[in-house]
Amino acid sequence: MMTALLIFHGLLAVALLGAVTHQALAASVRRSEPRTRSFFARFRATDASAYGTPVAVLFVVVMIVGAILYPRYRLVVRPLLQTLDLRAANGAFELKEHFSALGLMLLPAYWACWRQPLVPAYAAARLWLTWIVALTVWWNFVVGQLLVSIKGLAL
Amino acid sequence: MKTQARLMLFSMIACVAYTLAYYFDWSLFRYYLGTGTVGLSAPSTAGAPILWYGWLATAVLAGLAAAFVIPRSLSARLSPELVWLVPSITLLAALMYELRWFL
Repeated sequence: MMTALLIFHGLLAVALLGAVTHQALAASVRRSEPRTRSFFARFRATDASAYGTPVAVLFVVVMIVGAILYPRYRLVVRPLLQTLDLRAANGAFELKEHFSALGLMLLPAYWACWRQPLVPAYAAARLWLTWIVALTVWWNFVVGQLLVSIKGLAL
Repeated sequence: MKTQARLMLFSMIACVAYTLAYYFDWSLFRYYLGTGTVGLSAPSTAGAPILWYGWLATAVLAGLAAAFVIPRSLSARLSPELVWLVPSITLLAALMYELRWFL
């Protein structure tokens, strides 16, 4: 059950990673007409505002599943990290905890910034908050994969 | 705009509250791994407590209180720059706090 939930958590995280990365990059470059039909022209033509709500919803769902898995991590993985004295891996997960929490807390502001009609006064906040969410999601994903490669959640 | 201002205020206060919560151990409640119970204290047989859920609850509560208690006139006057600056600083603070694991 826990392994299935962990795989579900990972799959949702992949979707979140793709969405927020696409949004962050699309929001950072000037939009152009997709007439050239090149991959990058189409990429830039993406409407970054369309990702606001899906990213927020995915973030919350990934976080809830992660919170359900967390006690198992504390019971199964963390003691092993301590026994093997893998301090960096332990610390990376501590940061994952904080980044997840802070990402969740800033989500209302992120979502408000992307609400239509887009308020010009929040242009900088929109860009920065999107990049902050993207960086936290990337960190959490990479650390999650690293820890699963050290020890899964199976007893 | 008014709802946006409240949401932004929630985020700023909740980020700061979370940072203070883990630094000063202001956990609203604890989850005990051994017994699977939630509470503020438990016998030693209850095993190690998980504080993270309690820190989250503390932050959400503080954010909600600020969003609803601080007058609209004041929250609407907050600089838009603070909306991304405050979370950035709290992320940096978390990074600094956990550096001890990597040294």
